[in-house]
This record gives sequence, structure tokens and C-alpha cells, in this order.
Amino acid sequence: MRTVVVPPVLLLVVAVCQIGLAKAAGLTAWKGGGFGMFSTLDHGAYRGIDVVIEAADRSEAQHIPPSLEEMAARAAAYPSDWLLRRLAEGIVARERRYDRAVAVVKLTVWRTEFDHQTLAATERTLRAFVYRVPNQH
Amino acid sequence: MIARRSLEWFGAAACPPHLETPLRLTAIALLLRPMGPWFVRPAVLAAAAVVLISPRALRTPAMWAAMAALVGVRIADNWPLADNHIYLLAYWTLAIALALGASDLPRHLATMSRGLIGFAFACAVLWKAVLSPDFLDGRFFRVTLLTDPRFTEAAMLIGGLSEADLAANRRALAPLPDGAALADPPAVIEPPRLRVLAVVSTWGIVLLEAAVATLMLAPARLSPVPLRHILLIGFCLVTYAFAPVAGFGWLLLVMGAAQTGEGDVWLRRAYVAAFLVVLFYSEVPWAGILLDLGS
Repeated sequence: MRTVVVPPVLLLVVAVCQIGLAKAAGLTAWKGGGFGMFSTLDHGAYRGIDVVIEAADRSEAQHIPPSLEEMAARAAAYPSDWLLRRLAEGIVARERRYDRAVAVVKLTVWRTEFDHQTLAATERTLRAFVYRVPNQH
Repeated sequence: MIARRSLEWFGAAACPPHLETPLRLTAIALLLRPMGPWFVRPAVLAAAAVVLISPRALRTPAMWAAMAALVGVRIADNWPLADNHIYLLAYWTLAIALALGASDLPRHLATMSRGLIGFAFACAVLWKAVLSPDFLDGRFFRVTLLTDPRFTEAAMLIGGLSEADLAANRRALAPLPDGAALADPPAVIEPPRLRVLAVVSTWGIVLLEAAVATLMLAPARLSPVPLRHILLIGFCLVTYAFAPVAGFGWLLLVMGAAQTGEGDVWLRRAYVAAFLVVLFYSEVPWAGILLDLGS
């Protein structure tokens, strides 16, 4: 009879972790197994990441390329150091493939908030992350 | 003893015929929505096909345990992007494996089904009613109906918006940088019918989910069985007419069917019929057809 509790307890443990990560570390309520989908406007459609690439002779904003869209979606859903670093490393690798200099990648994760009366939309920064490319002289 | 228990996981369990229906429907749901990366998807599809073809595989705990593990790998592969029903699918396939390995399969499966639905719905209510800042005040459905393309037809059919209204609203709701404000901001067009739809959706879904959670988690003597099934089927028939996650609806209906007794033939048929209705919801653009007929 003990096995009967295993799946429901597993669900509860994951849900409690998801709530903790959502409240403490910016995980969107829609993801992570806490059953918060359709409960808030703070989800992928209203989150995004701005990318600025810097080097000695350049500083430019870039769109997320298709090859990194999934990694960007993961980082937007949970803007943690490890996911943002992996996204930045992916951007650096791509720049190098095109022989473009890159020393710093600046990532800004934002979400859209809506006024509760007028619904006026504003962007609010969730997390700013700076990745300095190692071994740059 | 351990060796014998291990071998039991690879042998077919004794499964009452009436419980084969929810097991088969679970496999069908897996086939209808292929998921995961290349190293998971073919294995899940193959396992689902095998349990549909082979009555022996259908009753083998190891098959379901393997499917639970594969779904777990799919969740971990691109965490945290998997939808919540993928988690529920992992728990459910694990529950089937454990129930097939248990001495009292019907009771084990029904108990785990009630626990999973009950706690999933309780978490959903907790998020909507307590943890989210923008649900109970109506913002979630107001903005979603105005901007989410998946709800366009509902907003037009029930809310009374035109295509021009929707386009204007999407422009009006484009975000401004933090701290910025327009001198003359465009007004958002919200017909009274749309505001009513947002309020009814907001409170209707919370109350319905709370009722299902309560009935699933309450002790059996306090939870009228017919009401529990009526609410669950009703929830699926209403919600998945609009919510674009048929996979979640199928899973809930399968888990509801697993709570039926041997004599509940008509109830099981109702679950199968509701499973098919959700299938038609997802494959037939019924709201678009109604809109076209209306115009």
C-alpha cells in the first residue's frame, strides 16, 4: 500500500520546489511542474531577452538567432546564472563562427506587466546578466 | 524474494478488463501527441504502439515504468520548458506501473488517480487564487482574450470583438520601456460581453477546479462518486473547448476512467466519448466555422 503514495507525493515535492523557484528565483509559474499554467500573464509570450554584444570596436544589440531560440526560451522561463551563461556561451560561439569579435555579452531578461485598470503594458527588468568572454586580451 | 519481485515487473499482471480501457487510452494519448527529442520520441511511440497491440505488454509493469522514465528524460532534456501535463503524464505512467505490480490493482489505480488529479487541481487553485497577482482581479483573462491568438475565436464569437478591434488592441497593449508613458495612450476596446466573459472565465475556472480538487482529495464517504465524475467530465468538456492543451484533457479523462468500477459501463463510455469530444475540439476549428457561418 505504500507505493500508492509515491506518484502523488512526487507531484507535491516537485510542485513545492516549483513554487519556491518561482517566488525566489524568477521561474515562470507556467513551467516547472507546479500547475500554475493559465494563472498569470507572466509567461513566455510576455517575457523576452535583449542581447547586446560588445568588443573593442563594436557594441550592438542583436536578436536571438533561431539556433538559440530554445536556449533563450529556457533562460527567459528561468533566468538563472547557469541558463543565462549557457545562452551567452552559445552567442559567443555563434559570433566566432562568423569571425566577429566578442568580449562581453550583456543579457537583459524582461517581462511585460499590465495595469490592473487600463491594461497599459510596461516592460520590467527581471534580471541583468553580464558574461565576459574568458581569455580576451 | 527480491529476484522474484523483480521478475514480476517483467511479467503480465492480472488486470480486470474494465481497467484496460484507461490503459489503452493512455497509450492512444501518447501516440496522438508525440513528444520529446529524437532519443525519446521514437521509444515512447514504440512503447505506446506495443501496449496497444499486445495485451500482455499492456499489463506489464516494466513497460509502463519504462514509459515513465522516458517521459522523465523528456522533462529533464529541456527543463523547464515542458508543460505541466507532461509531468502529470510521468506520474500517471509511474502510477500504472506501480498499480500493475500491486496486489489490488483497481484500488491502487483509483487511489493514485484521485491523488494525482486532486493535488494537481489544488496546486492550480493555489496559483490562481493566492500566488498570482493578476488572476483574480481579471487581468489574466482580459489580456489573454485580447492578445493571445489561441483565444481569438473565443474573443470574437463570445466576446463580440471584430478583427479590427483585435488588431487595435494588440497595438494598444504593446509594452513600453520601464518608466515610459505615452502622452495620449490608445484606448483598449473591451465590449461589455468580453468583460463578462473574462469575469465568468476567471471565477468559473477557480470554482470548478476547487470543487474537483475537494472531491478528489476528500475521504470516499464524503465525496459523492457521481458528482466527482460529472464535475471532472464537465470540466474537460468546457475547458478544452477553448484551452489549447488537448493532451491535458485526455490525461484527466483517462485518469477519471481509471476510477470507475467494473459495473460502471455507461460511466466508462462517457469518459471515452468525452475523450473523443476533446479530440474533435483539437482537430476541428469549430469556433472558426461558427464565425464563418455567422458572417
